[in-house]
Amino acid sequence: MKKGDGLKALLLVLIGAGMLVLPNFVDNYIIYIMARLFTYILVAVGLNLLTGYAGQVSLGHAAFFAIGAYTAAVLAESLAWPFALCVITAAVFTAIVGYLLGLPCLRLSGLYLAMATLGFTLIVQEMLLQLSVITHGSEGMLVPTASVLGFEFDSDYRKYYLIFGVTVVMLVLARNLVRGRTGRAFLAIRENERAAEAMGVNLAQYKTIAFAISAFYTGLAGALSAFLVGFLDPQEFSFFLSIQFITIIILGGLASLLGSVLGAGFLIILPELLAGLDVWQALVYGVIMVFTIIFMPFGLSGAIRRYAYRWFGIGVEPIIPRRLGH
Amino acid sequence: MVEILASQVISGLATGCVYALVALGFVLIFKATDVVNFAQGEFVMASGFISYTLLIWYGLPYWGVFFITIVLSGFMGVALERVVVRPIMSAPIFSIVIATIGASTVMRSTAGIVYGYDVLPLPTIFSKDPIRLGVVTFTIMDVGVIGFSILIMLVLYLFFKWTKTGMAMRATAQSQTAAQLMGVSVKQIFSLTWAISAGIGGIAGVLIAPIIYLDPNLGVIGIKAFAGAILGGFGSIPGAIVGGMLLGVLENLSGYFFNAGIKQVSTYILLILVLIIRPNGLFGAVAIKKV
Repeated sequence: MKKGDGLKALLLVLIGAGMLVLPNFVDNYIIYIMARLFTYILVAVGLNLLTGYAGQVSLGHAAFFAIGAYTAAVLAESLAWPFALCVITAAVFTAIVGYLLGLPCLRLSGLYLAMATLGFTLIVQEMLLQLSVITHGSEGMLVPTASVLGFEFDSDYRKYYLIFGVTVVMLVLARNLVRGRTGRAFLAIRENERAAEAMGVNLAQYKTIAFAISAFYTGLAGALSAFLVGFLDPQEFSFFLSIQFITIIILGGLASLLGSVLGAGFLIILPELLAGLDVWQALVYGVIMVFTIIFMPFGLSGAIRRYAYRWFGIGVEPIIPRRLGH
Repeated sequence: MVEILASQVISGLATGCVYALVALGFVLIFKATDVVNFAQGEFVMASGFISYTLLIWYGLPYWGVFFITIVLSGFMGVALERVVVRPIMSAPIFSIVIATIGASTVMRSTAGIVYGYDVLPLPTIFSKDPIRLGVVTFTIMDVGVIGFSILIMLVLYLFFKWTKTGMAMRATAQSQTAAQLMGVSVKQIFSLTWAISAGIGGIAGVLIAPIIYLDPNLGVIGIKAFAGAILGGFGSIPGAIVGGMLLGVLENLSGYFFNAGIKQVSTYILLILVLIIRPNGLFGAVAIKKV
């Protein structure tokens, strides 16, 4: 066991236990915000797999989030499928869309990829409005209550535990993924495509897989958030949401699961803390964002790792590439 | 049919010229400093509000307003570079991009606090009356915006081609180290580049705010300009100009053939198609990849 592993495990257990008992001590609004935070963590993990690990920039995740949310909602409303089936189908369908989007994006990298995926977000948002036969267009869409085997997830308290459980499972899966063969292939592609190819990494295969897995996480998060919020408004899924997602993983720390969690926490909780500032909220929020990045250019997790190493000798000094996706 | 198409092309070209100006701002900063400035659209928005303030609140004459707005916008660019970008020049590119997104949030909300979120009317010197010339109908405003944008691009071209500072800027874009060895102050060039880019954004703001609308979300035009720059090939100056103009025309034409919603979609579908065929845009250089 490496130095600091025991401490890390202890911290994880403490935080996990804290999260399990939290809903019994706080009011309903905080429970709702925390459940929303978990869905954002899922998106951040998915996006970080694609952008942080595999080096493929995506501004298309608002679209994946929307596709997951709407697929689940439509299946639940029109076909009255059971909840679990809706969520899983939504996630798988989003993964297929992600795979298909990955195919034409194989030739693109960097800013061009960012623009193409941004275009995808704008197209999907417009389609939500145009396909009003199934999506109810700009009116938005009500989502039925989730239930599993007769047990209804009808309160934020119950939804919290459901989403928390899914998030923990998906985090563990992501950790296994990035430490295994696929994760190493992603990193190799990010570092140098030619070299990765020479080492036997099938570029086309792994890039499209990265898109599919990333879309799966995001679609899953979208479906869960549809049942959490209970209402879908197409205006929510604009490119601002995509920019928010990418902000989460960069502020949190690229190629870091811890960073995905911290970044999502930053972006969800900070505006709530600043809610009392009224019109000044966005301004103060922007200023904090700029200063965070100036003082922690490698994100929150980069800063934590750096100081854990410098002050306590835990882990290694993080090396983070200056450029991505070249 | 031909007449309608021709007038659609002309009015599209007018918006396209403004996109091209903003796209130029993106590309100039990117070429010189390797930074993608996502607050570029906010210069457009801020300049719209500055000129509104000077014109309506202080009643200054139009040409004076125009000049002051551009200078103030340039100063904003320098301030942004000094305060936000320079401290993290050695950080990952993505962190710098996020810093500029943070800055754009600050600028947008400041405008919202001062002016509110209602759409404000901004007068223009160009008349909006239609003119018929042979088979084509257009407005003085369209032609004025096109002419003025082309004039600005020409001035920029001459500046880069013939002045010593312009040459220093081109040298910095090619190689910062070599430029520094030749006695160019790279830091000054960085500031100057941001000033020029923000200044062009300012011109775009004064030109477009009367055409579309003036509210704190005007900065979204930066996304269109970014798409134009990508279409032309990010990093290419002629690419930014052609890409911006092309995007304006495409958008207007598809707005004529389809409803307003499809107009956006068809533009971006076309953009993605172009990227699939030419992954580095129309004029973009193919990046040489080393192992």
